[in-house]
Amino acid sequence: MEGFLIFSISVLTLAFVYVILCLALNIECGVAGMWDLGIVSYFGVGAYSYAILVAPAAASYQHYLFGFELNPVFGILLAVTMGGISAYLIGLPSLRLRREYFLITTIAFSEVLRITFSNENWLTNGVAGIYNIEQPLKTFFSPDIYLILLFIVFFVFAIITYFIVSRLSNSTYGLSLKALRENESLAKTARIEPSKQYHSVYVFTGCLAGLSGALYVWLNTLIVPTQFTPNVTFFVWTALIIGGIGNNKGAFLGAIFFVILLETLSFLNLSAELALVISSLRIALVGLALILILRFLPNGLISEKPRFL
Amino acid sequence: MLEVTNINKFYGGVRAVENVSLEVKKGKIIGLIGTNGAGKTTLFNVISGFDKSDNGIVNLSGKDITKLTPSNIAELGLIRTFQTATGFPRLTVLENLLVFSSKNNFNFFNNFLIKQDNSHDLIETAENVLKNFGLLEKKNQWVGDLSAPELKILEFARAIMGDPLIMLLDEPAAGVNPALLENLMSIITELNKNGVTFLIVDHNLRFICEITDYIYVMNDGKLIAEGTPDTIINNELVIQTYIGK
Amino acid sequence: MDIFIYGLVTGSILLICALGFSMTLKTEGFINVAHGQMLMLGAYYALGLTYIGFPFIIAAFLSVLFCGFTGLLFQRVLFKPIKGNGILVQLFTSVGLAYMINGLVGAIAGKRMLSFDIPIARVIKVGDVYLVTPYEFMILVIVLITVLILHLFLQYSILGKNIRAVADNQELAKIRGINPDRCSDLVWFIASSLAGLGGIFLGILGAVHLNMGWQQIVMILSVTVLGGLGSIYGVMLAGLLLGFAMEFGLLVFSSNYRTAIAFGVIILVLVIRPEGLQSLWQSKGREN
Repeated sequence: MEGFLIFSISVLTLAFVYVILCLALNIECGVAGMWDLGIVSYFGVGAYSYAILVAPAAASYQHYLFGFELNPVFGILLAVTMGGISAYLIGLPSLRLRREYFLITTIAFSEVLRITFSNENWLTNGVAGIYNIEQPLKTFFSPDIYLILLFIVFFVFAIITYFIVSRLSNSTYGLSLKALRENESLAKTARIEPSKQYHSVYVFTGCLAGLSGALYVWLNTLIVPTQFTPNVTFFVWTALIIGGIGNNKGAFLGAIFFVILLETLSFLNLSAELALVISSLRIALVGLALILILRFLPNGLISEKPRFL
Repeated sequence: MLEVTNINKFYGGVRAVENVSLEVKKGKIIGLIGTNGAGKTTLFNVISGFDKSDNGIVNLSGKDITKLTPSNIAELGLIRTFQTATGFPRLTVLENLLVFSSKNNFNFFNNFLIKQDNSHDLIETAENVLKNFGLLEKKNQWVGDLSAPELKILEFARAIMGDPLIMLLDEPAAGVNPALLENLMSIITELNKNGVTFLIVDHNLRFICEITDYIYVMNDGKLIAEGTPDTIINNELVIQTYIGK
Repeated sequence: MDIFIYGLVTGSILLICALGFSMTLKTEGFINVAHGQMLMLGAYYALGLTYIGFPFIIAAFLSVLFCGFTGLLFQRVLFKPIKGNGILVQLFTSVGLAYMINGLVGAIAGKRMLSFDIPIARVIKVGDVYLVTPYEFMILVIVLITVLILHLFLQYSILGKNIRAVADNQELAKIRGINPDRCSDLVWFIASSLAGLGGIFLGILGAVHLNMGWQQIVMILSVTVLGGLGSIYGVMLAGLLLGFAMEFGLLVFSSNYRTAIAFGVIILVLVIRPEGLQSLWQSKGREN
């Protein structure tokens, strides 16, 4: 296949992983109005759950104890479950806090998790990470076909997530979340119990982030702790704000726009030295895009609109 | 209907409410007046569950609600308003009403598995309410774009959706022009005829005297007088501490 | 004893890094994520200046000034126009700025770990006790002086009083004839200079690299929240407390978990006392 086509397909495939993450963030932060800077936690938990279940047993130079070489379907299921469970547990203390205090607690938890991933060699193989995690069904297809297959599978995951999240945000449950976002005290007088709603949406977000973590490892075939810095959280937030916070279409397109923005420059065939410069410059470009959007389109590309009933 | 017995509330060393007891009988409109800082809003917060009292008991229809959360109390039919009416700014007027419907099921799983959308009946009810209040043509606008008088009226439209037994109004007449005040008073009397009990805090003595059956007066966290509007208006102590200023 | 001193050094650097951040939070009302990148910028400015031949001390001094003016520029060009557009817009503009600074510095200086060209220092020894290196000692002294000057400035100078007035209540300050824009300019200048200073300290004790800003900002956020959002004295206490917590925590945990200990402490404090340390000395009065 032509190089550019291959490149475009793989960029979009990666973008779908971000789409799921971005939709998860949107229902939590866009719809329910929480200030979560720790979404990378569940992304990471999901990714490691998948890796540990699917990876082969450790080689002599590796240190992790587990590596079950199980069917990736179990990997994905475990990733979703563990994403949810970790969100439930982290939610217990942190959901008692609001706004800045919630923000700092969630980012602190995500750093504690990342540091744990880097240091607990028996579980995660530490900073060296786990490599060569086999992609499901890879052996049955030629590389080109597999690329397209991956694109389709990830697209389906993204679309299903989009429909679930949209349905939920347009349901009575979603209405209660928006009410909490707009005015928590008043929402209480409408019989809405904040702790229940916040906790359930937090766990739901954790499950989706866990799913996207699993897909991320599937795509990359490797996992290292540096993939789970707060940078991911800020990236997803940036994508959501560019797309339009509170709007699921915005979240979907924002993630794709963002990944294209980030990856496009890396297609150019350049000398190694120049490539390094370019890789820095594209971060600057993302920053510039974010600043400009916030200045001139503060509600994002597709803003939240009044819902006609 | 609502019985408040020996409520005390301290903030740090400051007594906000001291040993206050009052009773709101079913079907009545009761007033609560007092100067700024007299403890009226604190008392409201305690009754509606937003604040926990240090001691004392709040009873609603014979049920002890002292330890319940605000949403549990709302579930029992006690709806309160806040001093500044803002609504939910980035929800439409119609959605603002739908949120308050007593038929809502907010449970995650119920919404996740079987989609709980706002049924046609519910929307129709809400539209009827809006029609009565003259807000129908704005139903798809964001509440944040409404004017202040419209927001005041919306408070009552919302409350009707929730079928309240009793409403606690926190300064409904504050910042309201005479024409709107007339309108609000007729809304309150209309609701009252339909069986809604009221407890109203306000500064506007004329408004309170005109609309209520019975008035409690608070000063410095204590109840200093109570009685029918006629007796209150002639009470020396009340004139001194309240009207005299 | 040495744990105590390490804690003091770690804590005072944290404090300097967090002070400016906390000032912008208090007067401008938002979380300035780009503050971490200002630290990095300070270190790289100094590095650049030594490359073109300035002696280290002068380079450091100039770098602090440059940082101040860079911050002023950012305030004028980026943040002044969006004032009043909501906390999230301001916060994520600062995230965008952080990416821009990070990307541009990376494009110019590359991604290698760098360090200042200063001689390796021996630890000062008093009797049988090893104390600190001269660098650490200098840092402690400079931090002490800086904090003292900042305290005097905020408490007693007219400009400082104006800043506090704006921080307390912007509307009231306007009525009293204080120009909030000028205060914002000043706060950005001071905050960014402090960030530059902190970045240089980090570079002296460790290395200068592209990720230092991201690493520090999470820590800075934590110190600030722990100190009770925007309370400058709370931040001082929190910085020192976390410094000690990290060093003492090493007695129990492996050194890889150094920062995790700090985050653990923060989570614990916030869960027990959601208002941060500030609530210890401010009784929560409430108006009816």
